[in-house]
Amino acid sequence: MTRSPDGRPSPVVSLQFDRVDRRYEPGAPLTARYRVEGLGDEPIEAVEHSVLWYTEGKGEEDLGVHFFARVEGEAARPGDGTITFHTRLPASPLSYEGVIVKVRWCARVRIFFRAARDFVSEHVFEVGRLPPARLVTAEAP
Amino acid sequence: MNSMHGAMLPPEFASDTRPGNPFATRYTRPGAIPPLDRHGIPLDVAALASRFEAVTAAAIEGPHGHGKSTLLCALAATLHAVGRPVTIVQIRDWHDACTACIAIVTAPRRTAVFVDGWERLGLLAGPMRLVARMLRRRLLITSHRPAGLPVLWTCATTPALLRAIVARVPDHGGVVNEMDIDAAFQRHGGNIRETLSDLYDTIERRSRLPSTALPS
Repeated sequence: MTRSPDGRPSPVVSLQFDRVDRRYEPGAPLTARYRVEGLGDEPIEAVEHSVLWYTEGKGEEDLGVHFFARVEGEAARPGDGTITFHTRLPASPLSYEGVIVKVRWCARVRIFFRAARDFVSEHVFEVGRLPPARLVTAEAP
Repeated sequence: MNSMHGAMLPPEFASDTRPGNPFATRYTRPGAIPPLDRHGIPLDVAALASRFEAVTAAAIEGPHGHGKSTLLCALAATLHAVGRPVTIVQIRDWHDACTACIAIVTAPRRTAVFVDGWERLGLLAGPMRLVARMLRRRLLITSHRPAGLPVLWTCATTPALLRAIVARVPDHGGVVNEMDIDAAFQRHGGNIRETLSDLYDTIERRSRLPSTALPS
């Protein structure tokens, strides 16, 4: 069991995609199911699960939420079972491993506790098959 | 202009995927890493917030890229968590000066106004401070140079601080070592933001080389 910086136990989110290689074509359906363990008895405010893309790089960040669902109150406590959600991915943006900027898709599970803390678990997958950017080294004259 | 709503303390974070680059903005931006002192030890932000509560106006001073915005962000989150509303204005150019002025004039009575980049207000800084004082607005600013306000904290950087920051970003698998970190720090004259940007480039360069070319 992992612990938060203040010593409280941190939950563990195990998420599985319907594609083992986590690679999806643009416009393809996506199904994911997850299980949350290690919640203990701490009261929960809400649980959110979402499918989103974000940029990662040196400068300003961007983010787009494609699918989002929120369950409020104790009904949000996942219990022993798994939670499944489905969505159809859009045509773009495609996952991209650039040098200055990367585009990443992920399924995100966020748990809000009543005690003014929250926990985020991200699970990255790929959309499309863009090759990663290559660094070009300038030739000496 | 940002008003703070909802949970502003950074969430606990887990991922089952290795990050693309541990020095990317999402892992190093203000708020992602708690403010550290020059020795790399976490600052007592709650104590600083209490000191700010005891005055009507104060400044966080330090050169560019030395952690002023990081500390401002942490103080805003700490005050917000105890029910003290905060409005943050970031000054990037003259247009933002109007936003800062509106924030100071229209802020509700208990709201503190945080202005990041106060020195960019230039000649408007004096009148704006006067307005804040007349309206009894609580003001916290960041500035590269003395602003004539009581100094809440002076930000300074050292290689030890940078190493402590690097220890808090996601694992980079040993792609950069302590020599790289110290060299980057020296190259950028202690500017942590530029140094982290430099280390980002180092990671990109090395991680795209054939594995045989990686430094031992």
